[in-house]
Amino acid sequence: MRHSVNRPPTPDAAEDQEKEPTLQEIINIKLIESGEKERLMELLRERLTECGWKDEMKALCRAFIKKKGRNNVSVDDLVHVITPKGRASVPDSVKAELLQRIRTFLNSAAL
Amino acid sequence: MSASREDNTSPDAQLSSHFFGDLLDSIVVDIASECHRIAKLGLDRNLEDEEEELRLSTQARVRAADPSNSGETNSKYVVDIFGQTHPPVANEIFDCMNCGRSIMAGRFAPHLEKCMGKGRKARLKAARSSTAAQNR
Repeated sequence: MRHSVNRPPTPDAAEDQEKEPTLQEIINIKLIESGEKERLMELLRERLTECGWKDEMKALCRAFIKKKGRNNVSVDDLVHVITPKGRASVPDSVKAELLQRIRTFLNSAAL
Repeated sequence: MSASREDNTSPDAQLSSHFFGDLLDSIVVDIASECHRIAKLGLDRNLEDEEEELRLSTQARVRAADPSNSGETNSKYVVDIFGQTHPPVANEIFDCMNCGRSIMAGRFAPHLEKCMGKGRKARLKAARSSTAAQNR
């Protein structure tokens, strides 16, 4: 049976403790703990739905599923179908708005 | 703090882009997962409906192209998109609520005209019976 989702291998606990957290990881934790990541997600979701981007992606999925047959498709396949097109077709205004919010957070997080 | 084009490769901009990509990836996985679920559970009726419609439309086209089935000359036996035939005059029978007679549906409107008093004879009839009632 095919695995629907490819998981990266679980990191070894001992290995982890020796590495210092990278800047990215620190910021990621701050984003999550402050709740800002959740807010950003919701904002991005809303903007992408409003402009029809989500519907476009769903249409791409449906077309792919129709072609391959609905029992031969995995979530991974769909992710690979959507990701390149998705990244390229985010409206500039949406991207700018989110980047601005993120930059503001980075500045206010006083790093 | 100006957002100039030089900012594109600054560590700040890279960081922001990284997190934006992160958010986008999560949303993409959500959408993929949702579509996958709908497909596997067969909840997207459109998929099967479209194939069904395609099949029926090709059938209908074949029937229409068939020379023995010309719609104009054979109006009594023309077939509609659901495959039903209809007689030129509606032939259900029911009772008129005014006079109580059994009337055919296709003849109901003309019947009502006479029955309820639009026609000359009906008006005379009504006038006669009302004056008769007054004179009593």
